[in-house]
Amino acid sequence: MTASPSTLALATRGLRKKYGARVALDGLDLSVPSGVVYGFLGPNGAGKTTTMRLLTGLLHPDAGSIELLGRPFARGDRRRLFDVGALIESPSFYPYLSGRSNLRELAAAGAPVPRNRVEELIELVGLKDRAKDKVSGYSLGMKQRLGIAAALLSDPTLLLLDEPANGLDPAGIVAMRETLRHLASTGKTVFVSSHLLGEVQVLADVVGIIAAGKLVREGSLETLLASEAVVRVRVPKASVEAAIAALTSIAPTTATAAAGNEPDGADTWLRVQATPDRASEINRALAEAGIYASGLEGGSDLENLFLELTGGEPHAGSEGTFQGIRA
Amino acid sequence: MRIFRAGLRKLVGRPASIVTVGLLAGLLVLIIIATATVSQRSGSPRTQQEALLLVTFPGAYDIILSFILGLGGLFAVIYGAAIAGSEWSWGTLKNAVARGESRSRYMLLTFAAISVMVAVGLALTFVIGVGAAIVGATVANVPTTGLNDAATLGRLPEEFLRGWFAVTEEAALGFAIATLARSQLAGIGAGIAFYFGETFATIFLPDIVKYLPFAVARASVAVSGSAAAAANGGGGPGAASALSADTALVLVAVWLVGSLVVALGFTERAEITG
Repeated sequence: MTASPSTLALATRGLRKKYGARVALDGLDLSVPSGVVYGFLGPNGAGKTTTMRLLTGLLHPDAGSIELLGRPFARGDRRRLFDVGALIESPSFYPYLSGRSNLRELAAAGAPVPRNRVEELIELVGLKDRAKDKVSGYSLGMKQRLGIAAALLSDPTLLLLDEPANGLDPAGIVAMRETLRHLASTGKTVFVSSHLLGEVQVLADVVGIIAAGKLVREGSLETLLASEAVVRVRVPKASVEAAIAALTSIAPTTATAAAGNEPDGADTWLRVQATPDRASEINRALAEAGIYASGLEGGSDLENLFLELTGGEPHAGSEGTFQGIRA
Repeated sequence: MRIFRAGLRKLVGRPASIVTVGLLAGLLVLIIIATATVSQRSGSPRTQQEALLLVTFPGAYDIILSFILGLGGLFAVIYGAAIAGSEWSWGTLKNAVARGESRSRYMLLTFAAISVMVAVGLALTFVIGVGAAIVGATVANVPTTGLNDAATLGRLPEEFLRGWFAVTEEAALGFAIATLARSQLAGIGAGIAFYFGETFATIFLPDIVKYLPFAVARASVAVSGSAAAAANGGGGPGAASALSADTALVLVAVWLVGSLVVALGFTERAEITG
């Protein structure tokens, strides 16, 4: 990131955290500009929640530093969190109290909250009709809404949300997205940790991708996707080598990871590192080599970028990843 | 003060508060009424007379108080453990810390709210117990002239305050154990085990046990002629403590402060991962 320190809402430098022998964060350097929605992406066990816990003082780093809203944040700097709202992991409430009472009692901790704020937030998250009910009777989505309301209690300048879309219905996701976009438009910074790539792609301005406790890529979504632009072409398996030879003169070309596993006679996808506007050029090169593509796709998406950067495989010490089923 | 008031509101609406007071008062009423009713049918005049002590004022005041302070101690350990443990189990401490609240202040004020609830619970149970004893006396045809005994009524406030302090210490012990265990269930289990462990240890190690939290709590309320009853009431350890009430009171304060220091120190340093 090129943002200067003064414009950063959140920055970490060399952040390290170990749980026993397992390294959860290994020198994390985050730079979150002010006034944006920042998507913090990573596979399970990559260190996202550990990062969130460190940013809210629930954990203490083994090494490295954190800056919140332009000022250092360490042990004893708890008041810095008065300007920060957070939803970390699953929402936590007193099950025997109503949603409204939970918000009221939580408002007693930390920064002072205006008297009418609780009612405003209950309305904002769509819980007005159920605000009197005990939280023990809430669905996961309702608890999530209440958690988002709790994070917004102090009208924070920096909002940290861990998997905020968890349990929300489609209407709730859209409403949450609009709310977060609105907050960013008013100059607030929204830091969203998620593994829902599609959600981040439509929500975030800036993306950071973490894998095995390290930041592997950070930048504006537009720039990242452009830098990772590819054109995928589908050619008969028997013509793969010839196709690669023909296309390499245009741009580096590789067979996809699944190549070789297809049944005999099936086509194979090739990956050409070129911007989508060169698709016709690629198609022509194949035709001139006597190869006819059965499929051609341009562009790049966050999923490809994510899988490429995180390896799509479990890292040492991280949680497992589904391996997929191969016939 | 905001956290203290919020802590009180949370405890007032909490099922554990109602269940704890309800159970203690219910048992007391059951024992008093049953004793008064059954005493009528007892053949032996001596047995009848002993049973009726429970509904004969002013002695009934001491017996009721000793019952409450004895069994109330065990209930207080469980209550303190339930409240502290749930802050970890339910993740509500995490919410407060993430809002920039001081961990130790939050837990201290939560405990302050518990101590107020302990006072309210003891007072409520005592009033219910006295009411039940009056009913029992009426059932058993025992006169209630001792109800206004000036000497007994004069020392009740001090005994009650000492009792409240002692029960608060026992709640602090449960609070500290659950904090260290970071769990409601583990805290309650360990608290009960500690309570009965101390009881059984009295048989073998009376000189050591007399300094332990439950023994000093009982000894600290033994300030008058009712001391023996207080020391033996409510199913607690029957150790005849050699400690004077005032020495025991100092040790109660030491255990109370010590438990809180451990709980707050642990909370302050803990990594909150739940």
